[in-house]
Amino acid sequence: MSTEYAVELAKVDKVFHTHHFFQKNDDTGRRSFYHRKRIHAVQAVEFGIRPGEVLGLLGPNGAGKTTCVKMISSLVRPTAGKVFVNGMHVEKRRHEVLRHVGVVLEGTRTVIWPLTPLENLMYFGRLRDVSSKDLKKRARDLLDFIGLRDKMDTQVRRLSRGQRQRLAICIAMVSDPKVLLLDEPTTGLDVQSSRAIRTKVVELTREFNKSVLLTTHDMHIAQLLCDRIGIIDKGRLITCRKTRDLISVFADQTYEFRLDRMPPVELITSIPGVHEARVEADGAEEPVLLVRVSEDETERSRALYEVMDALRREQHLVRAVSLREQTLEEAFLRLTESTI
Amino acid sequence: MRGFFKILWAELVRSFIIMRRYWFASIISIGMGYATLVTLVYGLVFAAGSDSIRAMADNAINGILGFLIGAFAFGIVGMFTQGIQGMARTGELEQVCLSPFGLVTNFLARSFVMAVNSVISCTVMILLVTATVAKESLHWSPFATVVLLVLTYINLIGFGYMVGGLVLVFKYVGQIAVIIRFSMIGLAIFATEQVSQWPALGRWFAHAMPVTDAAICLKYVLIQGQMRPVLDEAGQKVVQEVVPVLDAQGAAVLDAAGSPMVEAVYALQPMSVFLHESFLFLVVSCVVWTVIGIACFRYLENWSRDKGTLGTY
Ligand SMILES: Nc1ncnc2c1ncn2[C@@H]1O[C@H](COP(=O)(O)OP(=O)(O)O)[C@@H](O)[C@H]1O
Ligand SMILES: [Mg+2]
Repeated sequence: MSTEYAVELAKVDKVFHTHHFFQKNDDTGRRSFYHRKRIHAVQAVEFGIRPGEVLGLLGPNGAGKTTCVKMISSLVRPTAGKVFVNGMHVEKRRHEVLRHVGVVLEGTRTVIWPLTPLENLMYFGRLRDVSSKDLKKRARDLLDFIGLRDKMDTQVRRLSRGQRQRLAICIAMVSDPKVLLLDEPTTGLDVQSSRAIRTKVVELTREFNKSVLLTTHDMHIAQLLCDRIGIIDKGRLITCRKTRDLISVFADQTYEFRLDRMPPVELITSIPGVHEARVEADGAEEPVLLVRVSEDETERSRALYEVMDALRREQHLVRAVSLREQTLEEAFLRLTESTI
Repeated sequence: MRGFFKILWAELVRSFIIMRRYWFASIISIGMGYATLVTLVYGLVFAAGSDSIRAMADNAINGILGFLIGAFAFGIVGMFTQGIQGMARTGELEQVCLSPFGLVTNFLARSFVMAVNSVISCTVMILLVTATVAKESLHWSPFATVVLLVLTYINLIGFGYMVGGLVLVFKYVGQIAVIIRFSMIGLAIFATEQVSQWPALGRWFAHAMPVTDAAICLKYVLIQGQMRPVLDEAGQKVVQEVVPVLDAQGAAVLDAAGSPMVEAVYALQPMSVFLHESFLFLVVSCVVWTVIGIACFRYLENWSRDKGTLGTY
């Protein structure tokens, strides 16, 4: 444990057991009276979040993101390993840790529907032990901050989903925690709401020096929002590094050739130094040849010459050549594929 | 303790706001309760098949009180069973778990607010129903009643914590608990001092259920006015006088031979409810259920964190 981090997971494992009665066993394919399944939801995960940093946890459904969030907020106890918040062991000092973390979880009733946003904040503020002196002012400030001031006295059940989600973030922040955990905060929201939440998260870290853990399966959001990104798949943390670095890992590898007709893909694939060639046809009129080439500079250069040669021999019209900007999505797909 | 009052305040404000905002629904629910009770009373009267106006009234009030105590138990245990189950499904439970005061304190405060709410609405209903049906008012004895209600409440939440803990880990216990909840209403309605004459197994079951002795004590205070029959050396009730049986119009009821029927009025002597043997059972089961309940709940809460069942799962 080091004090550098606001949140730290050290070799954390979580194994769930589920019990099934009269159900088909997926392993044996037979129906049995009872069988037990073991799910290794999180395996030896290690990462830390520094103060003022947004760490994104990116992974497909069932990767173990929510489990990580719940382990930090003491809702789930790790099978092995330790979790620290501000240097405090979560399991041993649960109640104290809860004063330092704000959490937005998935679920429909994380806010109380028959109450207004202001009443919700007052209610949860009391539950989170915010002193009654500051509570009202804090509640109003938060609603101002998140842009719900004009909806302050409207019952939550009349609010849109995005507004409810913003309120949930306010509730998580009502006790002014140092650490904010957001589990899929923008999933299922429209573009505007999602953008509003994004900008607020950025403000939070920049202005108030909070540490934010944000889980998502949306690369776009992770790319825009996070300082660092951890990629998690099947419970394993595949990588965790600066967003910029993660994108550039593959950045100089794929080239786009905009052509007039379908190119001879097999021929190009056989060129030494070309790792992969495929055609992306949008509307079939203007096929785009994607060529992934070697990382080594000389080899790459040679391969690109050969590709151009091959295209000239086939008398293709090359409309444009460009380096394809890598998105996180591709990086993610390739990273997760390579571990299968 | 500070946590308890803080949450209590939060819950009180919340339930007050909701009651004010949905005042119409609140009134409707009291009205429905009233209608149910009146129906129940006539049902009980007919079921008893008694001609005696006094027996009728006794039966009716006995039924109403029992039903309300049962409903109280039904509601509180329900909060710990179906309530927890629903909260886990919607994510509300996790929100509560994020409170630094802990789940036990949170549920204590929640159930307390619920108990206060239902005691108030029950009192209103008792007053309404006794006014319309029984025409005979109860023996209000505030001190004894409040002490008994508090003990009943503690007893119920002790039991509730135990079942609630089970629901945290094994969700299907929630379904089984429905049976327990209904049996509590039944016990509360039919609980009388005759429980002590039941066969051993039934007797212990009745005493173990947190409503039985509570219902007996409350009925003893409110209906009998803390008076019990005088017994002679042989253990028989002493008859004070013999009076004719009257029907609802106040006319004498005749038997098959055409002569007026009579019934015995027993001699009564005052005895505080605190000396009643059911009170002793109530106190004992309070202590036992609270200790067992909270210990179980803490243990099962941790288990639930292991299984990840505080949320949807
Ligand atoms: N309480 C639980 N009991 C059993 N299995 C669980 C439980 N919670 C999560 N899992 C399993 O653990 C894996 C990871 O789940 P989760 O952390 O929710 O994934 P994510 O949030 O990344 O979609 C999934 O396979 C899920 O089915
Ligand atoms: Mg999830």
